[in-house]
Amino acid sequence: MAGARVEVVLGQRPGILKRLAAMAPVRVFAISGSESAEIETLIADLELEQEIVLTDSPRSANVLLAMGEFPGSMQESARRIHDQLCGPRRTLWLRQNVSAPSEAIFPKAIREDTHCDLALLLRKIHRDLLTGVEPSEEPILPDEEPALWRGVGPYGQGGTGMTGGVPYGRPMPETAPDRDGLALDQLSVRVGPFFRPFPSGLTLALKLQGDVIQEAAVAENPFDAKKLNPDFESGDPFIRALSEPVPVVEMEMARARHHLHWLCNALQVHGLGALGLRTRAIARSLSPGMIAPIAQLRKILRYSRSVSLVGAGVGVIQPDKIRDRGLGPVARAAGLREDLRMTDPAYQELGFEPVVHAENDVRSRLWQRLDEAMQSVTLAARSGNATSGGGGRVEGPRGVITLDGNSLPLLLGLLPDLLYGLEWGDAVATVVSLDLDLRDVRSQRVS
Amino acid sequence: MLTALGGSLIIAFVAGGLTLGLRSLGGLLTPPRTTAPERVPFLGGLGPETHAWSRFHVRYYAMALLFLAFDMEMVFMYPWAVVFLREGMKAMVEMLMFIVILTLGILYAWRERALRWS
Repeated sequence: MAGARVEVVLGQRPGILKRLAAMAPVRVFAISGSESAEIETLIADLELEQEIVLTDSPRSANVLLAMGEFPGSMQESARRIHDQLCGPRRTLWLRQNVSAPSEAIFPKAIREDTHCDLALLLRKIHRDLLTGVEPSEEPILPDEEPALWRGVGPYGQGGTGMTGGVPYGRPMPETAPDRDGLALDQLSVRVGPFFRPFPSGLTLALKLQGDVIQEAAVAENPFDAKKLNPDFESGDPFIRALSEPVPVVEMEMARARHHLHWLCNALQVHGLGALGLRTRAIARSLSPGMIAPIAQLRKILRYSRSVSLVGAGVGVIQPDKIRDRGLGPVARAAGLREDLRMTDPAYQELGFEPVVHAENDVRSRLWQRLDEAMQSVTLAARSGNATSGGGGRVEGPRGVITLDGNSLPLLLGLLPDLLYGLEWGDAVATVVSLDLDLRDVRSQRVS
Repeated sequence: MLTALGGSLIIAFVAGGLTLGLRSLGGLLTPPRTTAPERVPFLGGLGPETHAWSRFHVRYYAMALLFLAFDMEMVFMYPWAVVFLREGMKAMVEMLMFIVILTLGILYAWRERALRWS
């Protein structure tokens, strides 16, 4: 009798291959929608979990982590990402208010609010999926090609072009002169809105010859100021400082953390993932006056041959185009001595002098933000009870913020000229170096 | 005694069995069928607009030609190595002259920026 029970239990146990697969790290592809601040923190914490790997492509992940609400124009892309996951697949959809009505973008997703233990939940989902306790999700989009691949002949053969006919409704690339005067194929590609190195929502319409960008255009921002979640701004000390005095220590620590998180993303884009994680860990444990780990990181980066090659001479912006436009670190990395804190009495008492770099390229922006992070930690330690803000204008980590605007439209407007002629890798590095956040759409309120 | 017909039948059965067996094995090993959206390349959530077949400029061709030229240099060294001990200093000087001429070629290509990735 006891033997039969053991047999039943053993019969329910998944096979050894399934159990071994379930022990592997959880490979997660994360996409985020309109709820920003809390979600960024969640992703940052997730990256430091040893058993969780955030992948660059859904092809190498089997758990989709969808965060926030997705505007209409991003929903189709979100579904396509879901279908491109490696099977067996499962979706976890985090929303700030999980009971609020929403469109069924992911019909079978597990829904949770943002206060759950994310790492634990992801591990459970992965284990249940791989051991067969939970079934894999079916594709959401219909199995339809854009068009049949059919030529002019009776058996679908023949026609014009290299392949004869139109392959699955997609035309062959057009021909255009390249920089050497040769007439070569030009590939039209739209990248985004969930391309991991780019900010969420950014879509670039590109014309490529090889991997050289011949034309770049920025698609319309999918995030709508009218639907901006009020929670997006509530926790941000810089937004609060627009209307009320905020302790300098709070703002400077937020600035330092922001720059270090940006640096982590930039290092990961350049293939320096371990250094990126080290930066992320410093950002998480940062406290006022904690200079030593950042100085140590700076030393490592300074002597790293890989970092010294990053972005030198790439993504150079003419200083005249960005002078007096409140572009913060981007302007200061171009040698422009612009910072609202210079005229702020609280900062004047601290002897504030802006950090400036002259090279004006991707590498210069990297050093600029790292040095500003060090400066902010020092300022935070010395600021005591000093407060700043309440004047309707504040120097944020991405540049000047006002009640109804920020630097986002100007930076997006710079992109087409900036990307022209760049190879793809340099173009990605350039976009990352500008530190864009398309969810910060306060500037749309003006129009 | 096995007739010709019997032999043919055996071969036909073995061939048929092998074919069926391999096809079944292929069916077992083949990944599950994918849908059209699953097959498109990952572009951040959007589908491709044009077919991916395109002609592009192979910009490393100058470097590739240089590699071929200096690769051939190594081929000339094999027969030289065979006679080097017998010929002595004369072979040494000849090879040095050859290497110097090639080195000048590299320096010229370097000056003309042929080694730069463009």
